Amino acid sequence: MDTSYGFTSIHMDAIREVGNIGTGNAATALSRLLGRIVDMDVPVAELVPIYEVAAHYGSPETPVCAVLVRTEGNFSCSLIFMIEEHKADTLADLIIPMDLSGMDEETQLQIRDSALSEQGNIILSAFLNALSMITGWVLPTTTPAVARDMLGSIMDLVASMFGVIGDSALLVRTNLHVKDLDQELGGTVIMVPDPGSLETLLSKLGVL
Amino acid sequence: MIQPIHVGMADLVVSKHPAHLVTLGLGSCIGLVVYDQLSKTVGMVHIMLPDSREAKNIPKPGKFADTAVPLLLDELIKLGVNRSQLRAKMAGGAQMFSMPGKDSAIFAVGARNIEATLKMLAAENLRLVAQDTGGSKGRSVEFDTETMKFMVKTLGSGTKEL
Repeated sequence: MDTSYGFTSIHMDAIREVGNIGTGNAATALSRLLGRIVDMDVPVAELVPIYEVAAHYGSPETPVCAVLVRTEGNFSCSLIFMIEEHKADTLADLIIPMDLSGMDEETQLQIRDSALSEQGNIILSAFLNALSMITGWVLPTTTPAVARDMLGSIMDLVASMFGVIGDSALLVRTNLHVKDLDQELGGTVIMVPDPGSLETLLSKLGVL
Repeated sequence: MIQPIHVGMADLVVSKHPAHLVTLGLGSCIGLVVYDQLSKTVGMVHIMLPDSREAKNIPKPGKFADTAVPLLLDELIKLGVNRSQLRAKMAGGAQMFSMPGKDSAIFAVGARNIEATLKMLAAENLRLVAQDTGGSKGRSVEFDTETMKFMVKTLGSGTKEL
């Protein structure tokens, strides 16, 4: 595996901690939005060969819904909230105060995508707010973009983002779980820093 | 039915008949096949990025359009194909996310991949007979030397022959 990042365990711990604080804030924001308990797993920060990124998250043809926001400036990165498509629709319905069943499919899809884009936005902005609080940086975000596609296709793009600089991807991911529901509603937050951004972040945190 | 060979990111595989090559979940990447109908020989590559000159080192030539296409051709010639019989088909290069008022190079990588691959095919004088590229949806592709068909699957709109 390519270790061109040259990160030690101290660096990885710092990155994991950033993920922890960010996702903690994201879980709180989602909980407040839904009025339900939202749990989170311990974040994982790992270096994965880009060629294995897709397989790392599950079966490449799993239909997923992904919301992406970017921040550009002091610290440039993309953040993705990814959730299996059928779970995404259940999550969306939690904040849609009407019955969609009588509407045509295209309208249902648009309303759900709009709800998901808002949920994704709240989760990911909360993540960035936490990062902003730790660093004192202003981290302006783009409007969220939503995609429904195969897991492999989304990860294909993530791998390409890292592929420009090397052969491994640094992924910080955490699972969020919405409680008090008949079914498990877990989604994953993935942080994809732009080339050079992590070094900037680590030096700001005083560990590089 | 023979066991399918999965062509992962930046992988390049060539084979004589029988072979069943598969690439699942192509997003911004390109799935390119070059084949010889007569000798039933095929090569598939999963191209991730347009240009190797942007990279420091190139551990996998299949990763970049400019290194993948010549290598694919070389490997096929090693298997004894007749160069003039070779035909190419490609799929992929989607842009799944679009942001209003933002044309960040990161999201346009699919379009750059398509352009670079087309350029390389032209430079190598390889005839592209079909393509399903661009758009906003990811694809899975497969090629079986039994049928010599290149099948493209998209979520929501099913599988079609290209």
